[in-house]
Amino acid sequence: MASTAATRTAAGAAKVVKPIFSRDLDEAKRRVRELYRAWYREVPNTVAMFQLDITTRQGRDKVREIFDKNKHVTDPRVIDMLVIKGKMELQETIHVWKQKTHIMRYFYESEEPRPTDFLSKFYRGHDQ
Amino acid sequence: MAARVLQQCVRSFARPSLRLCSSSLALRVTAAPRPLSFAADSRRTRWLVQSRIPSVGVLCRQYGDLPPLTLETIKERVMYVLKLYDKINPEKLQTSSHFMKDLGLDSLDQVEIIMAMEDEFGFEIPDAEAEKLMTPEEIVQYIADKKDVYE
Repeated sequence: MASTAATRTAAGAAKVVKPIFSRDLDEAKRRVRELYRAWYREVPNTVAMFQLDITTRQGRDKVREIFDKNKHVTDPRVIDMLVIKGKMELQETIHVWKQKTHIMRYFYESEEPRPTDFLSKFYRGHDQ
Repeated sequence: MAARVLQQCVRSFARPSLRLCSSSLALRVTAAPRPLSFAADSRRTRWLVQSRIPSVGVLCRQYGDLPPLTLETIKERVMYVLKLYDKINPEKLQTSSHFMKDLGLDSLDQVEIIMAMEDEFGFEIPDAEAEKLMTPEEIVQYIADKKDVYE
């Protein structure tokens, strides 16, 4: 009990955990930039290989949008985990293990946007 | 007499499109008009020395290469590529404008700009050095360092 109290007080200052890949925030951001470069260069090849109906610019904007969704993260381990998942997606896209439908799922083409304000939810009804 | 015939042969054959290599000599000989062909075989070795292309000096090799880089050309190309980028306002762009502070760009925008520079100049810029390039002036300096351009 005393030991946990001591660690809790020490944890207030700085928690030392085992890193996944990068030791500090700069290294994690470097990994993010490398991943962004790889995705940026891969988008035109993807559009050609899968014969997608989008332009390269739309694809790159979508990549930027997904990267910006996690812009607020500051924990290096979380950033590393996200980079690892991004690399897995990139590998599956490069080697054409995915199919066109998996890539187009990023664009949410067939989904309707869910209502956010009260009036839209009222019109939609309580069924869903 | 033979020298005058040789001069006539040289003047009729010394066109800028002909190259001074032995492989084209056969073509030159076969393309020779009938009355002058008798001088071709005996004077072949002398032709190599005497015939010259008017625009270039004697025995000058012409390899294909890009024009040499200077600091001004690098700066012009960098600014041209930056003006083409749609998130940058071309009027506010100067060589000393910081990407993040003056132009309000993101770190990912800066990565895109560095990638555009890589595509323009044709060589890889590693990320450790790319993250420090924050103004067009620094980019020009870096490229001049890597390509050994100095004045």
